Amino acid sequence: MQARLGLALFTLFGFFARIAAADETCLSPFMPKITGQEDYVYVYTLGVEGMGDGNDKLVTLGANSKRPGYGKVLHQVSMPGRHEAHHGDFSDDRRYLWLGGLDTSQIFVFDVASDPGKPKLVKTITDFVAKSGGVVGPHSFTALPGRMLIASLSNAKDGGGKTALVEFNNSGEFIRTVWMPDGAEYGYDARINVNLNRMLTSSFTGKQNYMRPLPELMGDAEAMKKFGNTMVVWDAHARKALQTLQVPGAPLEIRWALQPRHHYAFTSAALTARLWGVFRKDDGSFEAVDLAPIGDPASPPLPVDISLSADDRFLFVDTFVDGKVRVFDVSDPRKPVVVHEQKIGEQLNMVSQSWDGKRVYFSSSLLSNWDKSGAANEQFVKAYAWDGKQLSKLFAIDFTAEKLGRPHLMRFGQEGFWVSKNAAPPTVGE
Amino acid sequence: MKLFRAALLALLCASSVLPHAPGAAAGPLYEAPAPGSYELPAITRVQPHALVDSNGATASFPALEQGQVAVVAFVYRGCHEAQGCPASLALLRQLDRKLDSDPARGARVRLACVSFDPANDTPERMRELREMMAPKTDWAFLAPGDPVALAALLGDYGQDATPLENGSYRHVLKVFLVDHELRVRNVYSAGLLDPELVIADIDTITAASP
Repeated sequence: MQARLGLALFTLFGFFARIAAADETCLSPFMPKITGQEDYVYVYTLGVEGMGDGNDKLVTLGANSKRPGYGKVLHQVSMPGRHEAHHGDFSDDRRYLWLGGLDTSQIFVFDVASDPGKPKLVKTITDFVAKSGGVVGPHSFTALPGRMLIASLSNAKDGGGKTALVEFNNSGEFIRTVWMPDGAEYGYDARINVNLNRMLTSSFTGKQNYMRPLPELMGDAEAMKKFGNTMVVWDAHARKALQTLQVPGAPLEIRWALQPRHHYAFTSAALTARLWGVFRKDDGSFEAVDLAPIGDPASPPLPVDISLSADDRFLFVDTFVDGKVRVFDVSDPRKPVVVHEQKIGEQLNMVSQSWDGKRVYFSSSLLSNWDKSGAANEQFVKAYAWDGKQLSKLFAIDFTAEKLGRPHLMRFGQEGFWVSKNAAPPTVGE
Repeated sequence: MKLFRAALLALLCASSVLPHAPGAAAGPLYEAPAPGSYELPAITRVQPHALVDSNGATASFPALEQGQVAVVAFVYRGCHEAQGCPASLALLRQLDRKLDSDPARGARVRLACVSFDPANDTPERMRELREMMAPKTDWAFLAPGDPVALAALLGDYGQDATPLENGSYRHVLKVFLVDHELRVRNVYSAGLLDPELVIADIDTITAASP
């Protein structure tokens, strides 16, 4: 009996440990992960007028050194027009990649399972604003079983920061809108910890600000007041707001710790350049703790994307202004320590790491009207190897020279992830 | 099959020890929300499908009366991943025992596991599975009619199931909560296989049902 119980506990513990380790390394906990070598990096790319066809694109890069086309552009699909290409993510079964446009609020759904090296646009959702009751700027996509949760940025009424969480089913049909609570109306990211049945959301700014040229915006004191300063703790199952946390300066990306006994999350506040932790307390409520500066507080470098390693040890923090990545050792989550700092380019935004933490990819573009100008407007995807101490360059692709545009979100694909091409029926149709 | 039995046994044992919070010794780390305190809007609508029960009889599924709901898990007996079909079956077995101890609630719920492996999961093998699970409530063990009907069924629910060369299937675990109007009201996957959450959802739906 004891042996049987031991097997049972081992099995169950292992089961949920794999669930909780939800990422490559920030994906929804409900979808299968690529735990080995990725073959492709899918890059959601903003179109630039006069560059190539000028349209937004999904660009596929070769990422496996043992396959043809390593470090090269393998494929590209254009979406007609420019939509302020930004974020997106896979459906719960990882067969489809949903990508949102912050300007037009259109959503593009790609089939990435039928031929992983050649994603195919299979559906465009054009009525997001109307269906959602006036929500604008579909931003952060989190796959839930059977549906997609979309944390948004703005609203159609005034273009301000009041916004909502919107759910569509896997067929692209609207389910519901849950507006952000009073006193915490801004939105940005939404991440779920299944072991705690808790969701965290963060807050940015509305369309009036994010579509405005950055120098002009920063010179408008009133506009600069219209950024979020809150995070919200939700009952994930009920979609009920439970608690509002004060996190000044636009807390952006949220990364839950991945190990099952680690009941905390990290975020970075963009405007104040601070690293924050959100910790579960003994009574089940949460506290937000200001953990550390990111760069020099006297000249905030604008932290943007963050990525936590699957073992909860290293947190990569990109900063846009100085083009640097800082790697924090967060083994003691309340006492993060910078263990590596490196300039990646003249500007830097997104970071994605492989499940094993050995490969890290960086992209350059923040927003079309916020990117730098002139020679500083480098547009690239760069791949590095990470050995726990330093980053070593693997390859780089110049998206301007390739006439592609401004690279933003990166997600991974793998050949053979879905072995049979004709087995499972599609859940998203034309 | 030994692997399937071992994985299932492990989960059945463990599920009675640690129902909520794996890896945590002190019990649940959350409470299920109070029934009726939240909404479960329809995610999608499904159609009735002809399936073969463990006695070999073909019937329309799900056949629900007013106010009833179905908890539907898609499985195959060859699955030996602990986080796969054995976990779905462990959830259904926990629900079966809870519903058996509460006949009023049990009368409002039908449990069903539906195989997506027509080549191997015959009605006879589904009957074996039934004997293994020893249900105490209205729990159906169903086999697909033929590959065409199966494809329509899986497409309707949005359940992926990709046959691999080694005879196994690549699939994302999903359990569906369906109301009497055949609207899918929730979908549970790994990490959400908590019988208390499902019970809360059942009560939320059936309490609001006329």
